[in-house]
Amino acid sequence: MRFAGRQVLSIADFTRDEIVHVLTVASQVEQRGRGALFSGKLMATLFFEPSTRTRLSFEAAMLHQGGQVMGFSDAASTSTKKGESLADTIRMVEQYVDVIVMRHPRDGAARLAAEVSRVPVINGGDGANQHPSQTFLDLYTIAKLFPALLTGDRQLTVAFAGDLKYGRTVHSLVSALCHFKVKILLTAPAGLELPQQYLDECAAAGLPVEIASGLPEAIAASDVLYMTRLQEERFPDPVEFDHIKASYRVNAAMLRSAKPELRILHPLPRINEIATDVDFTPHAHYFPQAGNGIPVRQALVGLVLGVL
Amino acid sequence: MTEPITTSASRVRQVEAIANGTVIDHIPPAMTLKVAALLTGTEDQVFIGANLRSSRMGRKGVVKISNREISPHEASCLALIAPTATVCIIRDFSVVTKQPVPVPERFDDVARCANPNCVTNHERWPTRFVVVRGPSEARSAAPIEVPLRVRCVYCERGFAAGELALLDR
Repeated sequence: MRFAGRQVLSIADFTRDEIVHVLTVASQVEQRGRGALFSGKLMATLFFEPSTRTRLSFEAAMLHQGGQVMGFSDAASTSTKKGESLADTIRMVEQYVDVIVMRHPRDGAARLAAEVSRVPVINGGDGANQHPSQTFLDLYTIAKLFPALLTGDRQLTVAFAGDLKYGRTVHSLVSALCHFKVKILLTAPAGLELPQQYLDECAAAGLPVEIASGLPEAIAASDVLYMTRLQEERFPDPVEFDHIKASYRVNAAMLRSAKPELRILHPLPRINEIATDVDFTPHAHYFPQAGNGIPVRQALVGLVLGVL
Repeated sequence: MTEPITTSASRVRQVEAIANGTVIDHIPPAMTLKVAALLTGTEDQVFIGANLRSSRMGRKGVVKISNREISPHEASCLALIAPTATVCIIRDFSVVTKQPVPVPERFDDVARCANPNCVTNHERWPTRFVVVRGPSEARSAAPIEVPLRVRCVYCERGFAAGELALLDR
């Protein structure tokens, strides 16, 4: 299995064995703790649109292992503003660094960048398309909580709730879960259901998919509840948005019907969809999930740099 | 009114026989005018038959272009918008070759991506689509979905080929 020099653009580019290898390496890196794996290596973080978690997490991942980071977090301060093409920006940056992490508002921008770059490009989110490092960390979090994900000892039930139409993290995670023994449970407001393309993928992989009647059913039946943010701009009628927002909000009282092992994940930022009283229940796992971004991103960077 | 003659060859002749050139037959009806627009150069004499009866397709379109054979680029475009079409080369009123339009595995810089947020609609960069095959373990051996579905290599969105606008050349 060769990872050195590889581009990390889409979870769809990885086989089951490759995904498991990344998760295994992440676990080893986490156990090893801080060190100097990336000593003498320089990462460019090219964030053409704002990001909090992804950029800080990649930078921390690099710095914790003795690497260095340069980059920008606002395209307005770059030559892009002067009309420079993305390809030219990448051709320039690749002269300076060992690895590029990029977030861009356009779908497919990371693949375009990878086609002109000699150094590995890691997609930190391209429009509504892909965010593979998030998917790897979501899988890593589930596998840490439920080793059965990788061993296949039992079928896990993973529920997705909220905006399943536009959420790229949901799309990528559903695609990735097609490699494993899970049941998918979906609950979404009308018009924000999971696109057919992903239902087809599940069907092709033999993954059972069920539509839950609502959040209470999803809570009662699942091992993992993956919540997503509802965005007001998706609803033309603000009254309808308020109504739907209320029915896709988890609070601590609702979790009384949950299995003890249920864990709630969220790609963050959470707005109203998870009440803060959930934070104090054993079911809340979204902050440790964000923390898992460090070993997972260290594994990805180390693998593509050829140092792991 | 009497029903028109229904044999395929006769129907093609109903459009207009050409001495030399190319006949595109078995065009999905909705795509007939798109095919005509694709293949019509300023000097070309073009004959169009729309919604003709077809034993194979129910209804079909036929486009005939006098005095020239289609280019590889035009064949690629044709495969995208009319994958069921057959291409006949006519010389001296005779059909010299008659072949289904070859559907390539991928289409390079033939059509614009229908996703307005796709990077190819915002950067000076060629588009690329791959043909989507049916769900199967042996994906390469799986049949091409009809109507043809393609996936943008960049934004990863799937489209019915008919949704895509051809690029000007």
